[in-house]
Amino acid sequence: MNLKKYTTLTRAGIMESLQFRLSSLVIVVGNLLYLIVVYFLWKAIYASAGTEVVNGMTFYDTLIYLVLATALFGFMEMYVVWDIGRSIQSGKIVLDLLKPMEYRKYMFWSYSGSFVTQFFFTFLPTFLVVAAVTKGTISFGFNLLFFVLAVAMAVSINYSIDFIVATICLYTESIWGINIMKQVIVLLLSGATIPLAFFPEPLHTIVSYLPFQSIYHTPLMLLLDGNPQPKDVVTALCTQLFWVIVMTVISKLFWKVSLRQITVNGG
Amino acid sequence: MKRKGLRFYLRIYRKILAQDLKSKMSYRADFIISTVGMIFTNIAGFISFWILFRNFPSINGWNYYEILFLYGFSLISLTPVQCLFDNNWSLRMYVYSGDFIKYCFRPINLFFYFQSEVFDVKGLGQLAFGIGTLVFAWCKLGLGFSVLMLLKVIIFLITASLVMIALQNAAAASCFWIQNSFYILDFVTKFKDYARYPITIFSPVFRFIFTFLMPIAFIAYYPSLVILRPDAVPVLTWLSPLLGCGFFWLSYKLWMFGALKYSGTGS
Amino acid sequence: MAPIIQIQNVTKEFKVLNRREGLKGSLKDLFSRDYKIVRAVDHVSMSIEQGEIVGYLGPNGAGKSTTIKMMTGVLEPSSGEILVNGNVPYKNRAKNAQEIGVVFGQRTQLWWALPLVESLKLLKDIYQISDKDYDEMLSLYRSLVDIEELLHKPVRQMSLGQRTLSDILAAFLHNPKIVFLDEPTIGLDVSMKAKIRTLIHALNQKKKTTVILTTHDMGDVDALCQRIVIIDKGKMLYDNDIEHLKRFFGSYRTLKLRLSGSRDELVEQIQKEIPECSVSSDEEWISVLVDEEKAKVMDVLSRLQQHHKIRDMKLEEISTEDVIKKIYEEGTA
Repeated sequence: MNLKKYTTLTRAGIMESLQFRLSSLVIVVGNLLYLIVVYFLWKAIYASAGTEVVNGMTFYDTLIYLVLATALFGFMEMYVVWDIGRSIQSGKIVLDLLKPMEYRKYMFWSYSGSFVTQFFFTFLPTFLVVAAVTKGTISFGFNLLFFVLAVAMAVSINYSIDFIVATICLYTESIWGINIMKQVIVLLLSGATIPLAFFPEPLHTIVSYLPFQSIYHTPLMLLLDGNPQPKDVVTALCTQLFWVIVMTVISKLFWKVSLRQITVNGG
Repeated sequence: MKRKGLRFYLRIYRKILAQDLKSKMSYRADFIISTVGMIFTNIAGFISFWILFRNFPSINGWNYYEILFLYGFSLISLTPVQCLFDNNWSLRMYVYSGDFIKYCFRPINLFFYFQSEVFDVKGLGQLAFGIGTLVFAWCKLGLGFSVLMLLKVIIFLITASLVMIALQNAAAASCFWIQNSFYILDFVTKFKDYARYPITIFSPVFRFIFTFLMPIAFIAYYPSLVILRPDAVPVLTWLSPLLGCGFFWLSYKLWMFGALKYSGTGS
Repeated sequence: MAPIIQIQNVTKEFKVLNRREGLKGSLKDLFSRDYKIVRAVDHVSMSIEQGEIVGYLGPNGAGKSTTIKMMTGVLEPSSGEILVNGNVPYKNRAKNAQEIGVVFGQRTQLWWALPLVESLKLLKDIYQISDKDYDEMLSLYRSLVDIEELLHKPVRQMSLGQRTLSDILAAFLHNPKIVFLDEPTIGLDVSMKAKIRTLIHALNQKKKTTVILTTHDMGDVDALCQRIVIIDKGKMLYDNDIEHLKRFFGSYRTLKLRLSGSRDELVEQIQKEIPECSVSSDEEWISVLVDEEKAKVMDVLSRLQQHHKIRDMKLEEISTEDVIKKIYEEGTA
């Protein structure tokens, strides 16, 4: 495989996002402020609860979980649905389809640049601040490795979901509506807004059979577990891998079928 | 030239609104999907809220129904910004492409002309949801009812709306100076979700910030005190209608200043 | 009567960011920025009378749009004075807007989702046009173009030509004293161009509207303008009527030839044979631009005939396009 043509796209993406100096600052400051709000909110919540541990999570656990979930969101949300939806509406998609690269791949590698900047501007500072503030709650052992692995798979699953939703835009002109529905479902059911541990029983079971938890819940739980049991880790990573494969296949097939439809209709 | 007073603008707005609704109906699928998306957002917000308070019965001396009251209040006060000022989201695109210039050639107020172009019907669903929540919480709290109370609620809802509109205007106007201002707008929008918690959970420094610098505390907390804690209403609450108007006026000036300073993209 | 537009010594400067190249450059830009001042319009003066159609010409980036933005009150000049209809435009944008109409080539100012007639009705309210004036204007439009098919079509479904036509109708609706047309015929087919030129001409005649027209299409200039102003790199190169311009360059004629042999070699060879003329070629013809003050066309022709076999030829008077090209190339006329 010729990797160079992909890394060129990555490089262009990095340069493009660095052009926006002030926006980088806003992202950093914004995330810090957001972090502070989350901190105080949960501090008050735990103070009112009167116990140290709720649903197996301490205040620091919850804090790390939520803050890193937000940071991961900033890192994974690529506005794929918006971009593909717009280029479908404007007809620009035809030009992209002519590029000598599979469209799904082309889009992914185009985004990979902002990925890298987001990682350094949002995720890394947030991670370091959280690690410092929570004074050693995050252990620096194998769990980091598992976390990185899990995030890589989470990115893949998230991208596949985005791509499936973007494909729906070939059928309807409502980008906003579709995107907001996707975002709401993913954020809630993946445990990005509230840790899945807090979910009441029937809901918790349902969620565990869906792919969404692999996006936020799994990587974060692997990170927080300083003393991982091999069996749990393997189960978690295998479940993720399963969803990576399933979602990739579905998104590819759906795109292929939908595109044929469009070509037949002469869209 | 005839003078253009409030009546002139109201009539123009009514006509533009009627036309806008007519054309919205012509994109029926989009309309339905977007409405469903909006309902989804509200339901998901509510579910997160419910999950949270299943685990924690109160925050900082505020019980479930009181927090629910704040929640409903914030939903209602966020409706006007959603319905009437939604074009702020597109401002960045118009400025970037240079199309913004088309708004500069009409003999009416630039800000008005720009905002009048879009009326977002979806916001009405949120309004209904908010009213339902507020009424439910009101009944559960056994607050009683009098015309004076209703009047107070209405005045403070308007105040809260003005504050949110001001925040959004200022955030949107940043695109006149910053290229990629989406992050700022997105940041402010996300922040408003935290407006629904009692400001007393924050440390004094952040209480100050959220009262004067990023006045989200005026969106639900300060106004709600009039109903929920009638014995301990701070002076700030009584001043808030004035402050709301002040914030709005400042943001309007900022927006106009940016728009007039904005010099097109050359060609 | 005072001129409707008076521009005196107007200059407009912009601050432009110098971007550095490459990945390293982007990183540097993140921490330090380097600006330079660009003078888009440089001491321009002109005055335009009511009812004139003025062609405002210049290559891309010459400062045309900037001048127009200053006249419409969107931009404030860095120095100098502008009076439009007795107003200082940027100081009173809304008042100025009541008296002007603007069309920007490919950017419609109409409501995208609405049929034209609804847009016109909204404009009627915004400009506070009386029912009588509105009806009169509409019947004038009916007599000039076939608007019935346009009126009920949403703007988003229109072709580019129909949209431009609609934009022009909308710009003239409130009977403004001045209409600015920025490249109104860009991207249109020949018949649509003709239609639009006829419409502009008729509206100018009927309503005595002053029209400021920027264009790259010399067909527009030939069909509409009595007077042209040429600007390049912010500086004014020419301001006079079009006949004067042609007279100025009237001694130039173009000799077009078809010879046997390879065209590129021939061009080079001929240039050597008659150094006082400039020689160029296109798909079909070899063109020799002859300045009759230096050499007579007949002489050139007979000199060429000594060396080449001429298969076909024609003689052309210099076109407006050639004249403008010469002005761009040579600077001040």
